[in-house]
Amino acid sequence: MDLSLFGLGAIVLALKATHLANFFALLIAFSSVMVMFISRNYKLPKSFYALFLLLNASLFLIVYAADYLLFFIGWEVMSISTYFLLSFTLSKEALHKYIIFAMASALSMFVAILLLYSGTHSFLYENAAQSFAALDAFRAVVFVLLLLFAIFIKLGVIGFHYWLVDAYEEAHNIFTSYLSAVLSKMGVYALIVLITQVLVSLTFELSYTLAIIGVLTSIIATFKAIQEDSIKRLLAYSSIAQLGYIVTVLAVADGMAGALYHSLIHTAVKLLLFINIAGIVLITGREKFSELGGLIYKTPQSFVLLLIGIITLAGMPPLGGFASKFMIYSSLMDAKYLLILAAVMFSSASAFLYIYKLIYGIYLGHPTNKKLESVKEVPLSFLLPQYILAFVLVLLGAYPALVVPYFNKILLELHLKEMAFSDYATLISSFGEYNGLVIISAFGAIFVTVLFVFVNVHSKKKEAKDRFDIAYCAEEPNEATHLHYGFSMGKELRRVAFISLIYKNSVKPFYDSLAKQTLNVSEVLKKIYTGNLISNFNIGVIFAIILLWWSVK
Amino acid sequence: MMILNILLDSLMMFVIAYLTGFLYYGLYRNITARFQKRYGPPVWQSFFDSIKFFTKEESTSHGWMFYLGPIIMMSGAIMTLLSIPFFNSGESYKGVSEYGNFFVVLYLLVLGPLGNALGVGTGGNPFGVMGVTRGLSRLLALELPFYIAVIAIMSLSESADIATISNSQTTLNAVAYPLLFIAALFSFIGMMGQAPFDVVGAPVEVYSGPASEFSGKFLALLMSQGAIFTFAKLVLMVHLFLGGADGFVELLAKTFGLFLFVIAFGSIYGRFKTPQSIDFLLKVPTLIAVFGLILATWNLQ
Repeated sequence: MDLSLFGLGAIVLALKATHLANFFALLIAFSSVMVMFISRNYKLPKSFYALFLLLNASLFLIVYAADYLLFFIGWEVMSISTYFLLSFTLSKEALHKYIIFAMASALSMFVAILLLYSGTHSFLYENAAQSFAALDAFRAVVFVLLLLFAIFIKLGVIGFHYWLVDAYEEAHNIFTSYLSAVLSKMGVYALIVLITQVLVSLTFELSYTLAIIGVLTSIIATFKAIQEDSIKRLLAYSSIAQLGYIVTVLAVADGMAGALYHSLIHTAVKLLLFINIAGIVLITGREKFSELGGLIYKTPQSFVLLLIGIITLAGMPPLGGFASKFMIYSSLMDAKYLLILAAVMFSSASAFLYIYKLIYGIYLGHPTNKKLESVKEVPLSFLLPQYILAFVLVLLGAYPALVVPYFNKILLELHLKEMAFSDYATLISSFGEYNGLVIISAFGAIFVTVLFVFVNVHSKKKEAKDRFDIAYCAEEPNEATHLHYGFSMGKELRRVAFISLIYKNSVKPFYDSLAKQTLNVSEVLKKIYTGNLISNFNIGVIFAIILLWWSVK
Repeated sequence: MMILNILLDSLMMFVIAYLTGFLYYGLYRNITARFQKRYGPPVWQSFFDSIKFFTKEESTSHGWMFYLGPIIMMSGAIMTLLSIPFFNSGESYKGVSEYGNFFVVLYLLVLGPLGNALGVGTGGNPFGVMGVTRGLSRLLALELPFYIAVIAIMSLSESADIATISNSQTTLNAVAYPLLFIAALFSFIGMMGQAPFDVVGAPVEVYSGPASEFSGKFLALLMSQGAIFTFAKLVLMVHLFLGGADGFVELLAKTFGLFLFVIAFGSIYGRFKTPQSIDFLLKVPTLIAVFGLILATWNLQ
């Protein structure tokens, strides 16, 4: 685009439909269609849709921009339109948190971009590596720190996640899924652009730092998720943890394939889970595990769909989640980041706890509150997008290499090592291969055989009379007995020294003290900048003199 | 033809694991009995018990998810068994192991218990869910030292393929990397449900853990999968650290030796509390594993 018409001849801006941009654009478009399925169940003001479209436009601008200025404009519009979308439901405090963090992110990104511009006086990605090389060491470090700061806020990396959990919890149910599925991916996209276009190859220190930050994020967020009672907060932490994996894998040399694959899976899974939760909240009006329970036989379809979602989230073999986990593990093995890999797998195993809590708290056990018994299945408009997403996940489970040719185009374009595959069912890494189709059909065959034999074993099945018909230490439970045990799952972890460290610490005191310091500083400033016209004029004159002196010098 | 081969192969593996598993369980009851200065039940008693449970007239169910829970667990156990080859080489007793790799097996190890956890949750028995919670909390601590040890092993043999790992051991991994082996053994004792990490079922303490709501043929299925699962885990451990096996005699000798060690360990120690066991596993074996990994990869460079 030529801006010489506007007197900005020196600045060249460009849009470019790269394969990478297309991939993220596809995620955006697909997710917004899925989200719109459920919108008809809510009475939303027209401005919501207008803002949603504006948000989408800004997201497309972000991914299709081929220079940092357009990228920044998209980023800024995204932050602002998200603010207005959140303002429909968020409390004042959560909204303030969001906007302060979003502005900090945008501001530091802007400074970083200007720093980069000072290199070769170009905003284009294609000149970015050159510009970066032209920076002196100090500026280069500042640039990387500022840009990472901006990206980390968007990703919600631990320490910068303070705004995220509240925003996810209080956002409208339609919008939470979008926040998690799409908006967080913009952080991933920005990180990919930074790594591939500007830095080109990560130094050892930066790579290790990023990997450690990523893995700490996933471990801490996983444990934070375990103790949450609110469904949406749990999923918010889960989202942070999943993005932690992506950051970790992006830090290693051949991690791009795993990062892209995990982005795809995470988008699909989080859409599925949040839409499922939105349906449950719609029919029950409750958002806490302690108030729910036992919905399995009221809403069997939702249960099965959530089950598919959590199997994928856990990364279990028969479904798509395993493919991305396998890619992540393989690239970490290749890079010989062995302890990091162990930590990633540890976090992944710890995630089983909150994943079980998610399905148990809502669908299993016996509800604490009997009013839930009149609940019926969620509307079709909720089930339909979930069926589509579940189909995608099962398909990727059987044919994990189905998306590989497409990813290879992206990798080729970025001059990275391509993924190997022999057929659509087999994914190959340097450490081994696995055939999704054989695994899923073998498991299916075993399951059907066992089921068939078991059904035909000579024995009558007696259905339990009611929810009190259980083996209960030879006693009879009654109305007053608490049967919904699992919502307090993970309490004993607080008694483990290592893990209680995570629970006892929070970023809240830090940000509180930061806010206090800021207030103190502004008190001091108020003494100088009183708002009095005369003193304002005096300050202006002094400032002008200093400026003049400095420019002459 | 290939599918037929795999089917026959799988059937043989299933039968062998089923019988050996129950034999080992019978021996386990006998040996622990001797530790406590009493005579245990006949060796095949548990096997007959499970057959008896299958023919019980009634068994209480709590709807279809409860019904499917033990079936998923059984499928998970069989799937794990079939994903681990019995022998280092040869065409038979491989199941579907060539189509997966060690990462698949690591996940399959928890697939069954998680599937059953859904059934337990549906039953709604608080004691069952208590067992599941204990199991999941322990799992995360259990896996960390094991992961570190096996990651080191995989990295050293440059493969995630189980047969390749066991074939690449010129000196046994257990001898070459003793620290890794010790760390993995701690986890393995927990995986086998032995003291001091047997917090999941925790007999006499919790009512009876995940199995509390299952009766009749459900219990029979859970017992049978336990036998198969035990054998599968032993075979896996033998492949990773003890050089695998080339024939049935070697396989049985190595698995039984390992099994004997595990149950001997289990019968002389008391049980940890849940937080204690997590705390211990995150400290001692994890540290040993980290040291082992550093030492092992140091050699590599």
